[in-house]
Amino acid sequence: MPGLNTSLSIAVQALQAEQGALNVTTTNIANVNTPGYSREVVNFTEAPVSQQGNVAYGTGVTLEGFQSVRDQLLQLRIYEETQQQSNSQTQLNSLNQIQSMFSDPTQGVGGALSTFFNSLSQLSTDPTNTSSRQQVLSAANSLADSFQQAASNLGTIQSGADQAIPQTVTQINQLTQQIATLNVQVAQLQGQGQDPGTVQDQRDQLISQLSGLVDVSVTQTEHGLTLTTANGVPLVVAGQSFALQSGTGANALQEVFSAQGQDITSQIQGGQLAGDLQIRDQVIPQLLSQLNTLASQFATSFNTTQKAGFDLSGKAGQNFFTPPSSVTGAAANFSVAIPDPSLIAASSDGSAGSNGNLTQLIAIGNQQLPSGSTPMEMYSNLVQQVGNFGATATANVNASNLSLQQLTDQRSAVSGVSLDEETTNMIQYQRAYEAAARVVNTVDSMMQTLMTMGTGG
Amino acid sequence: MRVNPNMAPDVVAAVWRTQSQEETALQELSTGKRVNVPSDDPLAAAQMVANQDQANRADQYLQNIDTLNNQMQTAGTALGSVVQALTQAVSLGVQGSTGTVSAANRQEIVQNLQGIQAQLVQLANTAVSGGYLFGGTATTAAPYTLDSASPSGVTYNGNSGTNTVQIAEGLSVQTNLPGNQIFQNSGGDAFGALQQLITALQSGTASAAQTATNQVRDALASVSGQQIFYSNAVNQFNSTQTFLNQEQVNLTAQANNLVGADITKVATDLTQAQTAYSATLAAAAKILPTSLLDYLK
Repeated sequence: MPGLNTSLSIAVQALQAEQGALNVTTTNIANVNTPGYSREVVNFTEAPVSQQGNVAYGTGVTLEGFQSVRDQLLQLRIYEETQQQSNSQTQLNSLNQIQSMFSDPTQGVGGALSTFFNSLSQLSTDPTNTSSRQQVLSAANSLADSFQQAASNLGTIQSGADQAIPQTVTQINQLTQQIATLNVQVAQLQGQGQDPGTVQDQRDQLISQLSGLVDVSVTQTEHGLTLTTANGVPLVVAGQSFALQSGTGANALQEVFSAQGQDITSQIQGGQLAGDLQIRDQVIPQLLSQLNTLASQFATSFNTTQKAGFDLSGKAGQNFFTPPSSVTGAAANFSVAIPDPSLIAASSDGSAGSNGNLTQLIAIGNQQLPSGSTPMEMYSNLVQQVGNFGATATANVNASNLSLQQLTDQRSAVSGVSLDEETTNMIQYQRAYEAAARVVNTVDSMMQTLMTMGTGG
Repeated sequence: MRVNPNMAPDVVAAVWRTQSQEETALQELSTGKRVNVPSDDPLAAAQMVANQDQANRADQYLQNIDTLNNQMQTAGTALGSVVQALTQAVSLGVQGSTGTVSAANRQEIVQNLQGIQAQLVQLANTAVSGGYLFGGTATTAAPYTLDSASPSGVTYNGNSGTNTVQIAEGLSVQTNLPGNQIFQNSGGDAFGALQQLITALQSGTASAAQTATNQVRDALASVSGQQIFYSNAVNQFNSTQTFLNQEQVNLTAQANNLVGADITKVATDLTQAQTAYSATLAAAAKILPTSLLDYLK
């Protein structure tokens, strides 16, 4: 037969349980704006039943603890999407810089090429005219400047991406180290049967940040989390982190090595690191190659025709542009070889007034170079290529952002703190606390009744 | 079902989205262009390179025509004067070869003809901005010099070269006739005939003078025929100018189609974006502050 003391102890237990629950609610409310925080829910269970004779009596409530609410699968999708979003965004940032060089068709190599051919056309109306000759030479110099400028701008953006790589690797290593530490804490708490909620939230946040830098594949093992790159290069295994290394490779560019010293540069698929590598190793080399091919083939073709003609003094033409030693670097080293406008080989018969060779030089503008396109077509292909890169990156960023927002919304629907919900809970716990307190009060007055009975007063 | 309790990030994202739509519409309105960077429309951006090049070329062709017009009209005018001078020489020749003319008159005619000879040399040496028009491609030296040792009385210093200049896509015109082709061709030799007429009047017979006069007449017809070359060119310039001006209009229209903004559509877009922006803000203002706490005492 349960006594008053039993009731009292049940009531006290209830008071403690509601206090504990209020504590959880307070923590949730306090963290309503903490990024990555997963709300916690209270775990009330019925205390074991006490059997006395034929009657089973409840013995109150037990606060088993609390648990954070999370959807691990959703979290993994967020990591994946973050890797793609960050990859595309990094590319887009560089591409926006590249695009600004190709936005105005009257400027840059295209505009300079057009002006140069027109200056030749003007000269053809009066091949001995000194100022027209001077104009051809200055248009040629502007063209050379444009080629050099374009190559140098692309080079600057490329080395910017290159220099970002060791910085990113350093950030990755800091994060994996922190994640490994948290991994240990999570395992410890789980070992003690506690909910590792807060620590796990921190770890999820760090993995999210890591996903912004590099491709991460997350596997849950019995010893804790294992993080690898998509290609299986280990980053964190339980309590141990494996630092990536960066170093100068064969081509004087930064390469990424695994902790074991294996070159994994070409395997990186996600995050900022992949974006920078894509810009450095794919986008810019491709654009530079197109620019260099144009510079090299144009200079060579122009020189050949110039040498077939005669200059103002009737001498055979000499190289107009410095002959490119190789296709690589042709744009960066593009320069005018003739110092004097009288050396323009306008004449086809040796007479000063002939414009026969100018006609041939002008025709280069409409002729296919070895690439199969005219110089202007090659340039417009380059512009289109830049545009395609930019459009693809923009579309990818927009898609990833949208997807990421939806995933974050879903995550928030599962794990986010709702103030309304917490307030409701708070009122609920408060009411229950009040009721339990009333029980204590009642038991107290019942006990007093008992005492009074004893004194016989 | 539990819903996302934290709407702030969505509200912010929605505000950004509508703001970026407004910004895009504003940029298109202010630049008048739909394509402001190549990624807006890669193909149109590439085609704009060609369009801009063609527009530049059309400008240049018009300038070429201006320069050539000046040169070739000057050349045509010079030939006109040559025709006048030769006409005068023919009438002087007719006058001198009648047989009844006095020796003194003959002397006077010879002097007149020598004057015409000098005038012809001067006309054949016509130059525009330092370049001689009738020397073939040897434009830096005077094509004709008087030379009493030569049977034609002159020496030709030029050559037979011609130049052509492009004045439209796929259209090139020959811009000069060499002096030897104008003045000394198989149809007539203006300088030679004139020199023979002078010699005949100085020391020859009346019939020799008559023959020489006929030769001058032939040369006159020949030079007169060459004038058509220059007048044709000037006509062609006029029609090409009209074509190029139209071409420029077409290219501008094409550029506008390629990258121009549809102002009516953009203005509508802007209004819509503004409405969406205000609506988002209004909705956010209603949703965000509301909480159960407002209803608790």
